[in-house]
Amino acid sequence: MNIDRYPEIPPKDKFIKKAYVAIMLWIVGRAMQAASRVDPVVKEEFSHLRDNFLLRLWVAPNGPSMFVGKDKNGKVKYMGWNPRGKKTTLDMQIKGIEQAVLMFTFQESTAVATSNDRLIVSGDLDDACAIVRILDIVEIFLLPKIITKLAVKRYPKWSQMSPLRKYVGRVLVYIRAFTV
Amino acid sequence: MFLPKYYEFCCRVKTIAGHKALESIAGELDTLGARNPIIITDKGVSGAGLIKIVRTALGKKVKIAAIEDNVPPDSDVSVVNRVAKLYKSKKCDSIIAVGGGSVMDTAKAVNILVSLGGDDLMSYTGAGKVTEKLNPLVVIPTTSGTGSEMTLVAVIADHARKMKMAFTSYFLLPDLAVLDSRMTKTLPPFLTSSTAMDALTHACEAYTCMGKNPLSDAYAIPAIQLISQNVVRAVKKPGDMKARLALANGSALAGVAFSNSMVAIVHNIGHAIGGVCNVPHGVAMGILLPYGLEYNYHKSAHYTADLLYPLAGEEEFINTPLNKRPEKAVAYIRQLNEDLHAATGGRHSRYLKEVVDRDGNQMVPREKFDDIIRTAKGDPAQFYNPEDVDENDYRVMLECAYEGIPLDRKKIKKGKRTSKIRIP
Repeated sequence: MNIDRYPEIPPKDKFIKKAYVAIMLWIVGRAMQAASRVDPVVKEEFSHLRDNFLLRLWVAPNGPSMFVGKDKNGKVKYMGWNPRGKKTTLDMQIKGIEQAVLMFTFQESTAVATSNDRLIVSGDLDDACAIVRILDIVEIFLLPKIITKLAVKRYPKWSQMSPLRKYVGRVLVYIRAFTV
Repeated sequence: MFLPKYYEFCCRVKTIAGHKALESIAGELDTLGARNPIIITDKGVSGAGLIKIVRTALGKKVKIAAIEDNVPPDSDVSVVNRVAKLYKSKKCDSIIAVGGGSVMDTAKAVNILVSLGGDDLMSYTGAGKVTEKLNPLVVIPTTSGTGSEMTLVAVIADHARKMKMAFTSYFLLPDLAVLDSRMTKTLPPFLTSSTAMDALTHACEAYTCMGKNPLSDAYAIPAIQLISQNVVRAVKKPGDMKARLALANGSALAGVAFSNSMVAIVHNIGHAIGGVCNVPHGVAMGILLPYGLEYNYHKSAHYTADLLYPLAGEEEFINTPLNKRPEKAVAYIRQLNEDLHAATGGRHSRYLKEVVDRDGNQMVPREKFDDIIRTAKGDPAQFYNPEDVDENDYRVMLECAYEGIPLDRKKIKKGKRTSKIRIP
């Protein structure tokens, strides 16, 4: 039997799903950068992270991914998707594209995804906790309440997040995420 | 029955349990191809004569290449490096860990270094970094609490860098866990009670947290039953070998359960209290367990209701209406703490105010609440809690646990109620 006559058939790539997740990661990365400038709570959370902090949030086995970290001046920056030459201090890996789609279409909240072992986290756990809190706030800024309620465990009441902070923050995050 | 859309479960530790289980180790070592094991233990265990029992049970055929009996209660990376050096110099090929959580975690970390090479433990931290089969590891727990004999986790402190390193990998699961009643017979009553409450918390949290699944539930319920029925007996009569063996089994079952479902707010705050105030883990667990269950009533009261059956028995369960079961389960745990307090002559603490060190100083003063809350916010166990915990909630729980009064649920913030049982 000539094995060369039976070439390996690679599985079909899920281009649409990958593209969707890549766009969502880009938006989240940009929004994290924007929120670190406009929201005092997010700013405070980032201020406790180490100087060389670099988060990689990515989908196994080969992307898409996004990097958010502190630059030389200590400013939080979205640092693109390419892992080349980057030394991450916190790695958050979503186990597969299907799991990522569930999360980014809000069919599964971040908390449920974590409980269902969809995520693998490597790095300092203090930093990971801070990032999850930041992601929750960013989601509140980016999304309407009806969708955010699917993504976070407890949607903040007015006493916890004033309407002024929420709506002004939302406008500023959108402007900064898509323009600056 | 709760069935999540997706879950993962793994338990592949061969377990030998019995009043004379130690005698089977020699044969098992042979099967594993282990010829020169090192024994890793601590001073307390060797001082209590337990290593002598293990060596006698191993017989003359098994030659122990080295014994390291100086593992401290809060093991450190320097200890791991020292033991790894001894292992290599004596040309050992396997490890027998005899002790509690610290000894077992140290043994797992040593096994990483001696099996995979290198001397930088840091490079293996995190989830899934250990990707190869390690050398044979046999664990013999001498407390009935941590469940570490069944878990894929090891936590090692790096005191120089002021951090804790967590290692998670299926390759960290021991090859063999040996539960022998003789190994816990000499455990003092107050340590028996606190470690058992630790195991009970593992099982209760495994059953009520977000990561629960049908298989972890199947381990959690008998664990609660064994611990609940035997803990007071073992504390009152330390020589009751049946009760000792039951607790060892309960702890191992609870270990399997929480290893596959994780834990929640009780461990979240407990880790912080341990880190800030050096309160023994089991002591914090016993005090906080009722508060954790009360805090989550609006999310998981229907699961807490189920706990009444293994805790209090069939009759109590049947005679209690559904909507009263959660509160009765919590009341039962509080009563268990009271019974253990009486049985240990007051050494088993019921609330935070009561926790004192050897000199009688209060270990958890109110002034430390801010530090505890700050530390708790950095603990990942919170993610498995059904309710999102904020600073105010932590404070209310700490205040109530300090005074020993039931949780004032009016003062905590609550998200949407998902429990079928309504409790105000």
